[in-house]
Amino acid sequence: MTKRTKTVNRILEVFLWIISIFTIYPILMVIFTSFKGKAESSYMSISLPKEWHFENYMTVLQKDFLQSLSNSVMITAVSVLLIVSLAAFLSFIIVRRDTSGCRFIYKIMTLGIIAPFAAMPTIQLLQKLGIYGSRFGLCLVYSSLYMPFTTMMFTSFIKGIPKELDEAAVMDGAIGGRLFIKVILPLLKPVLATTGILSFMWVWNELQIPMYLLNSSSKWTLPLSVYNFYGQYSHSWNLVCADVVLVSLPVILVYIFAQKWVIEGMTAGAVKG
Amino acid sequence: MNRKKIYPFYLAAVPVFMFTLFFIIPSTIGYLYAFTNWSAARTTGLKFVGLENIISVIQNSKIPVAFANTLIYAGVKTVLVTVLGFVFAYILNRKIKTQTALRTIYFIPSIFSCLVVGLIFSAVFQTRHGTLNDILNFFGISSIQWLGERGTAIFAICTAEVWRNVGYAIIITLAGMQSVSSDYLEAAKLDGASEWQIFRHVTLPLIMPTVNVNILFSLIYGLKMFDLIYVMTGGGPGNATESFGTLMMNEMSAGRYAQSVAVNLVFTVILAIISFVYQKFSSKWETVA
Repeated sequence: MTKRTKTVNRILEVFLWIISIFTIYPILMVIFTSFKGKAESSYMSISLPKEWHFENYMTVLQKDFLQSLSNSVMITAVSVLLIVSLAAFLSFIIVRRDTSGCRFIYKIMTLGIIAPFAAMPTIQLLQKLGIYGSRFGLCLVYSSLYMPFTTMMFTSFIKGIPKELDEAAVMDGAIGGRLFIKVILPLLKPVLATTGILSFMWVWNELQIPMYLLNSSSKWTLPLSVYNFYGQYSHSWNLVCADVVLVSLPVILVYIFAQKWVIEGMTAGAVKG
Repeated sequence: MNRKKIYPFYLAAVPVFMFTLFFIIPSTIGYLYAFTNWSAARTTGLKFVGLENIISVIQNSKIPVAFANTLIYAGVKTVLVTVLGFVFAYILNRKIKTQTALRTIYFIPSIFSCLVVGLIFSAVFQTRHGTLNDILNFFGISSIQWLGERGTAIFAICTAEVWRNVGYAIIITLAGMQSVSSDYLEAAKLDGASEWQIFRHVTLPLIMPTVNVNILFSLIYGLKMFDLIYVMTGGGPGNATESFGTLMMNEMSAGRYAQSVAVNLVFTVILAIISFVYQKFSSKWETVA
């Protein structure tokens, strides 16, 4: 590296750090505001609280927060499990069986990425099935809604697994489900992790679909309860910010401890090698 | 042994069944309902009304506004995010020492839900003591009602959306740039190519497939934008900031079910056309670039 490039890089580096203020400022503002008193919190600035009001968090926690948290955890866990396992099986068959029918299913799936969520008909369908408003119904809808994208990621990964591995296992008498579990599944670990994290982020953060599909506040997920809370307490920014911090905490923790996987997971599928 | 025997279809039966039941059937029924007189007051004994809903929805001034807004949201977001992502990724790729730390920071907004980002920017753009107005007041400029008017409200929503997505674009573009083999770059350098020439004729063509996928997803998700608008303006004032997503929601809660699914139908057609056209064009760019 020449001396000139070094100086240029140094300047650019400082520039990037200055710009990063735009990313950090709003986040710090929310964190500081969450500890302020009501009157002070109406000023949206990054100043440290004059008095630290830790009780804001207690107030928020008492407002059905734990109920929504357990709903969110349950719904996310079941949905992620469904999304990932269904897409894995489907992709295995689509790629390896490779009949015209399979290719047709794959084409329809790619359309599924484009088509917007049909809210009203889905509600009607769930009513007919007797599961409208239930958390399980929501999980089922999630699993089919996010199936196209995850299937796309799985199929492109499975295409990279050499077919010779299958053939060797078939010689030993492993076909169908046994072949999948013994040979393919262990190799899918990276894509299982990325799709798992990706669908965790989708389901955990989703607001629109639970708004349509959950009918009583006792079943609400965290984003729904925060949205509703904001409607009621829009003049108490300190409480709203405390709620925002609490609802983001799980995602932030996952990001801190599994940063590599989160970044890989969220960007996989977009990077064509 | 027969391929069909080794890979029996029943293993895919459950996912195919679920996808058909919870996605294909509701979507198809929805598109069919767009041609009936379905509403909150009339859910049985529906009559076929032809193109009436579609025509009324198109004439009803709401669609052109929602259409224009949706295009603005998706377009502004896609262009800004792609360009900024490119610039930042390019700088980061110049062997900046604190690359990892910067990458980590820039990516943080991408992990937040739209709801959280919407709330943060509602605070930034609020009229009384909002961050931006406080800064303006400091310079002696009077406060602006950011979310109270179409132009400024759209600006606010786009800002929030760009803030949430830039980090994501940076990482993807950077990953693309890092996957370019250094052999190519060195060969070009040996041939005496300038930095710009290397970028234009070596790096750019090689990362174009990645950038294209990124742009396509950015467009699709931008067109489908809902949460952020719903939180920040609810589509208001009036219908000024409505997108297709919020329009569907608002028509539905007003009990005009058939209109709501008609909006959905129009929207699907537009989305399909845009992604189809984009894919046609982008595959051409890939061969030209």
